Amino acid sequence: MLYFYKKIIFQFLIFIVSVGYLVTAINIGSPVLNGGLQPSFFPLIIGSLAVMFSGILLFKEWVLVKRRAADAGDESKPYAAPIIVCLIFIYIIAFSTIGYFIPSVLFVFSMMLMFSSKEKFVQKAIISIVIVALGHLIFELLFGVRLPTLRG
Amino acid sequence: MEFIILVVTSFKTLLDPLVLTYVIAGFIIGTVFSAIPGLTATLALALLLPLTYSLDVTTALMACASIYMAGMCGGSITATTINIPGAPSSMMTALDGYPMQQQGKGALALGHAAIGSMVGGALGAMLLIGLAPFIAEASLLVQTTGKFSLLAFAVIVIVIAQRGKMIKAAMAACIGLMLATIGLDAMEPVTRFTFGFSDLTAGIDLMPVIIGTFAISEILIQVGAKKEARQTTEAMSKVKIRRRDFIPPLADIRKIGVVCYVKSSLIGYFVGTLPGAGGSMGSFLAYVETVRTSSNPDSYGKGNPKGIAASESANNAVCGGALVPMLTFGIPGDPITAIMLGVLVINGIQPGPQLMAGQADLIAPVLASLLFSAVILIPLTLFLLGPYFIKIVAIRKDVLYGSIALLAVVGSYVATYSTFQMMMALALGVLAYYMRKNDFPIITMLLGFILGPNLEEFLRRSLALSNGNPMTFFTSLDSLFFVVLTLVFVYFLAIKKPLKQPASKAQSSEEVI
Repeated sequence: MLYFYKKIIFQFLIFIVSVGYLVTAINIGSPVLNGGLQPSFFPLIIGSLAVMFSGILLFKEWVLVKRRAADAGDESKPYAAPIIVCLIFIYIIAFSTIGYFIPSVLFVFSMMLMFSSKEKFVQKAIISIVIVALGHLIFELLFGVRLPTLRG
Repeated sequence: MEFIILVVTSFKTLLDPLVLTYVIAGFIIGTVFSAIPGLTATLALALLLPLTYSLDVTTALMACASIYMAGMCGGSITATTINIPGAPSSMMTALDGYPMQQQGKGALALGHAAIGSMVGGALGAMLLIGLAPFIAEASLLVQTTGKFSLLAFAVIVIVIAQRGKMIKAAMAACIGLMLATIGLDAMEPVTRFTFGFSDLTAGIDLMPVIIGTFAISEILIQVGAKKEARQTTEAMSKVKIRRRDFIPPLADIRKIGVVCYVKSSLIGYFVGTLPGAGGSMGSFLAYVETVRTSSNPDSYGKGNPKGIAASESANNAVCGGALVPMLTFGIPGDPITAIMLGVLVINGIQPGPQLMAGQADLIAPVLASLLFSAVILIPLTLFLLGPYFIKIVAIRKDVLYGSIALLAVVGSYVATYSTFQMMMALALGVLAYYMRKNDFPIITMLLGFILGPNLEEFLRRSLALSNGNPMTFFTSLDSLFFVVLTLVFVYFLAIKKPLKQPASKAQSSEEVI
């Protein structure tokens, strides 16, 4: 049952977003006014096509998933991707408030832990500091970017 | 002829030590990224995109060209040594490369791959240099209605090229087009789909789209990948390669024959001109053609160097072909040319029919870099760095992805110095991740996003010029040409029974892209 929801939910979300897009496009205004095309014209076409394609996909997935519901999931770490998304989100918030260095070291360190076994913490911490220092050099010197600091 | 002379004189740009450093560094980075299973040259280019803000556009594009060429040949390293193509374009190389490795001729197989890549890359680049000005001249004949039909043709062809998942490809293109409509309307002072967020008024920047689509989604895919796929480093560390074994005997090259190299390169070049076809299709068709015309077809798949030569010549010739629609019409055919187009857009250069005529001095050094990468850098890199490549690509995955994550997230900050763009890159990365997990080809989303604004503009202008009469798309000759071309492609790619590609052992990320 869980597999069923997992497979169908993305198609369902796409369908909902497509319908939402189409409704918003309709609310922009009339597609044609005084013989001229208006800003809603193109979104209305795209929205209609999106609703049609996402509807077909939702129906096809519904039929397919019911048939192969016995198949197991294909991931060895099902929660790894959501954890990474949370890490990146927290990093972006910290990056803009605390600055580049400390959040970046913690971010790279936690990313390294996600891609390896939970051991050799000191070695990983040192590597993280080196990566962040190199990153600073690349961005500040090579890319010419002023990275945020604690003082703004 | 004038353009050819301009390209030849552009070689002097490579004498600038800074430009040469970027071109060589780009080539090495492209080779390493395409050799590591799971990473791609597209990812390398996406990560290096922020660099274009500090470099001049010519140098940035020259580095892009060398990454592109490297990306096509780098995949042959792991395809040959451990039977896992680093890039899908090297899938056919593995069929004969790995059996040669098992026979103790791995280095020789890599040598043949390098020669094939060199010949294919050089012929592709020369054809591009020779033909592009004529195509560019012809492209100037295309008027507003024709431009819309041409863009629609590109979107339709790239959708129908995704055989077996056409509806998903069409949906992905719609998502790209939907994203492109966010922000201020191009012709009227009306904001669309901003939902009160002032940051969205100017629309979504290309940088977070590229970084989210190619870098962040890749990190999310790789972290959930099975251990088996991430433990190729152990297999790599066992492979020993000596430098002196790289050079194939002249007799072997004669046996392969000029015809095989040239024919495969031509196939690759013309496949490259089609949006969405890419290196894997080019090498597949060239390989099939070589087997078909061979007097000893049973020897293929068992270590025949001719198979490697055909595959590698074709996939490197694709580089030249894929740049034709990008440079002449502003239509990218694959993710790398899409990012190159992004470099132009970021620097305020309008891609399209006028580009070759108005900015020939900008384009000529790029083509010179492409040719230089094929003729000089491919053999030189293999000879100098070949024995160490296996060690380089066996880099620790935690260090690699830690660095990639930092470059990707901070890189998305560079475009506007705003955390909003970073959040946008994350959101689009998550979207691309779920699309890839559900087998949606994200290249069609990217092309929809890139081509969307022009598609809308030319549609509205065409209909305004014809007082709203849609028959204008069939009555104007340039438009009718592309309508007929679209129908021909729909017939051959979507209706007629397609050729089947053999299943690849590697599930390289670019296959999903």
